Amino acid sequence: MKVMSTPRSLELAITNRCNLRCSYCYHFGSADDVDRDLPTAEWLQFFAELKECAVLDVTLAGGEPFLREDLRELVAGIVANRMRFSFLSNGTLITDELAAFLRNTGRCQGVQVSIDGEAPAVHDAARGRGSFDRAIAGLKALQRNGLPALVRVTIHKHNVHHLAKIARLLLEEYELPSFGTNAASYLGLCRLNANDLQLNAAERSLAMETLLELDRKYPGRIQATAGPLAEARMWLEMERARQTNAPATSGQGCLASCGGVFNKMAVRADGVMTPCGQLPHIELGRINRDSLRDVWQHHPELQRLRDRQAIPLTEFAYCRGCEYVAWCRGNCPALAYTLTGDDANPSPDACLKRFLEDGGRLPSER
Amino acid sequence: MDTNAKPIANPSVVLREEFDDCAVLFDPDTGEGYAVNPTGVFCWKRFDGRHTLAEITAELRAACEDAPAEAEQNVQEFSEELAGKGLIGFEVQ
Ligand code: SF4
Ligand code: SF4
Repeated sequence: MKVMSTPRSLELAITNRCNLRCSYCYHFGSADDVDRDLPTAEWLQFFAELKECAVLDVTLAGGEPFLREDLRELVAGIVANRMRFSFLSNGTLITDELAAFLRNTGRCQGVQVSIDGEAPAVHDAARGRGSFDRAIAGLKALQRNGLPALVRVTIHKHNVHHLAKIARLLLEEYELPSFGTNAASYLGLCRLNANDLQLNAAERSLAMETLLELDRKYPGRIQATAGPLAEARMWLEMERARQTNAPATSGQGCLASCGGVFNKMAVRADGVMTPCGQLPHIELGRINRDSLRDVWQHHPELQRLRDRQAIPLTEFAYCRGCEYVAWCRGNCPALAYTLTGDDANPSPDACLKRFLEDGGRLPSER
Repeated sequence: MDTNAKPIANPSVVLREEFDDCAVLFDPDTGEGYAVNPTGVFCWKRFDGRHTLAEITAELRAACEDAPAEAEQNVQEFSEELAGKGLIGFEVQ
């Protein structure tokens, strides 16, 4: 596949700090968890390089990005360098004043806020006492000020039985156009709390069935790029392909699931460039010392991750003989790394064969 | 359109040359992108408020041997389209 001259988007961890300690946090307890934040001037210098590279947008993440005391200066730097921006936030620090400031830039694409329950007890189970009320207050501030609020529900053992209530709260009571879902994944702190948080095969089956049911009730309003809903859609497609022996489409049968390395990159809070916020251990260089364009076009690790998509799944002993091998794409390299120690493996986390062997059930199709 | 008009790029707009044969003009204020071909990129780089449309067409003819007979009309239509989208304006004399 041809590679663009520069990345289109970057995810920037503008701070390593956070006011919460969610038990499934992907940031803390990973290589993304560094010991310092960059000074304002370093980010502003880098934004000028992003303009020169014609980067279109940045996602500001952390930790909790709204903890940056110089946030307005950073946002002004992004706007001056002709980019759009969005945030990944826990929502608890968003005030009307902040939301109005972001709206008035005319460049904010939205703020993703994590809401994991329909009530404090459910949400706070993994995010800490008091966080639900504050996140909801932040969500309402975004809505009052006309900023797109992109809610993300992370599904885990403590909220898997509450999905219908959560959907009702978000889509009916708060009238959000849609919300996104994923699942507590084996990254960062979640690795220490996996048994208490991650869905087992039966809970995953329930989550898939429930989310597909909710998708029929609220058509097009529940989104997923990972987690049970994305897996339900992907696995049902693989099962249909297996039953009809459908011809494989582009990328199927290879480690081709991750397209991120063709469009975007990430920067850790200490200024180290990485291929993705979920692959923080792969250090590609440092901002304002190494050229972004050069790293993007020539770094051997990025090239290796791009070449990954030509590796056939039949090369892996576990996949050989799997009845889905022709239609599988091998799943997320970050989870392949945390679960197997090597990103050049299929990820066991979203392996359909393993899910079925563990007693999982594919949802019914209606 | 007057061939002596001097188009000037909206300073907010980003020209992103993704591959050799494909570029996009991106307006960060609206989030909208507009695909342009290499001829469009050639023109865009001369939308600086100093070159007239006639001069840009002449440079285009000089730069590419197989420029079509209707190049002048194409350059005019392209600039009219960009002006309609707010991606360029015209230098006031
Ligand atoms: S998941 Fe987000 S909100 Fe929670 S501790 Fe990690 S960075 Fe903070
Ligand atoms: S074993 Fe799992 S990862 Fe390998 S091809 Fe089958 S479903 Fe995909």
